[in-house]
Amino acid sequence: MSLKTTYSEQELLYLLQQRNEKAFSYLYDNYSGALFGIINSIVTQKEIANDVLQNVFVNIWKKIDSYDPAKGRLFTWMLNIARNAAIDEVRSKSYRDSQKNQPFPEDVDVNISGAVTSKVSDVGLKKILSKLKSEWRVLVDLSYFQGFTHEEISKALNIPLGTVKTRIRSALIELRNMMQ
Amino acid sequence: MNVQEYISGGIVESYVLGLASAEERSEFEQMCRLYPEVLKARIAFEEALEKQALDTAIIPPADLKNKILEQINSGGKVISMQTGASAKINWLKYVAAACFILLAGSFYWNISLYNKNKKLRTDNDNTVAKLNTLENDIRILQQNPNVKMAAMKGMDISPQSYTTVYWDTASHDVYLLANNLPIPPTDKQYQLWALLDGKPVDLGMIDFDVNQKRLLVRMKNAQNAQAFAITLEKKDRPDVSAPQGDMYVMGKL
Repeated sequence: MSLKTTYSEQELLYLLQQRNEKAFSYLYDNYSGALFGIINSIVTQKEIANDVLQNVFVNIWKKIDSYDPAKGRLFTWMLNIARNAAIDEVRSKSYRDSQKNQPFPEDVDVNISGAVTSKVSDVGLKKILSKLKSEWRVLVDLSYFQGFTHEEISKALNIPLGTVKTRIRSALIELRNMMQ
Repeated sequence: MNVQEYISGGIVESYVLGLASAEERSEFEQMCRLYPEVLKARIAFEEALEKQALDTAIIPPADLKNKILEQINSGGKVISMQTGASAKINWLKYVAAACFILLAGSFYWNISLYNKNKKLRTDNDNTVAKLNTLENDIRILQQNPNVKMAAMKGMDISPQSYTTVYWDTASHDVYLLANNLPIPPTDKQYQLWALLDGKPVDLGMIDFDVNQKRLLVRMKNAQNAQAFAITLEKKDRPDVSAPQGDMYVMGKL
């Protein structure tokens, strides 16, 4: 029986900074599924989700030196890279063009109201959203999974900016409670 | 500030999930340095989030890992560093050389950007002028109740051809829009005709590039017309008052 290697976060980070391939392979084996989960809750097309995951890991390898442990754990950093890459992909022209049956208007307001009614499959991290009450679910979906700013959401849903902020905060607190 | 209230207000979650504003982020980082309980709350939520993400993980396709490893091996090699005194001199030399190359490059880049900018500005002025003329033409046509239109369809020798004539019955001005005409051979050119009782009247040669310039072009005035037609004629004919070539498009008013 082979010994299963495990690393502490500091060891892992040190080895990644040395561009150690074994450590990178360990990182992939342990976290690719979690990152693929968040990517799939944003990007609905399978092949494109694969490309996004590939780019995310290549970027983690290249940009590991820009990770600052004082600002958060390594996984949090990777999760945000994956989320941002997936949102950027969904907003890119090529992705919109590939959604042949879904005309995607340029106007953000129209996008948001369209997005509210669109049915996106709840996979990955998004599963937990279904337990939230609907007015909160919409706000978390728009801000976290679709990357709209509080200002954009306030304008599109015609809710005051302060209310958008408080509701998102309350929704996040509720989400945290559900996770524990 | 009440630290417990700060922690339970949702900032921990929005910071970790990447939803906090720049201002909120720097404040939160400051709070983490000052209060261990804020840092503890952050780490606790990060761990809960990681667990949640692992619980809802989706296994990627098996071949993806090798693709990624191939890609990092082709582009992500790290060059080992030299040590010792000679390396230090070398290092300085390289820095100086790099600075020089950067400076020269930036100088060249500036000049080329300046030239590009100048050209863009001229192009833009030309385009705006062209657009103004065109908009003016269209406005004249649209607002003028006297303007009649003839959609000229392709004849058998060129069924895909299509042009439009706008004719002002009061001022007798004629405008041609070459929607689609084949490029003529170099020794030939198109000629526009007004037809009155079956008799053609010359409205001028179409000497613009039909492929490049699909704008409204003003032709000779027509005193009267029932239809319009375009023929393909030899260049430099001595007498242009009667058509000799093939008719390409024709349309009644």
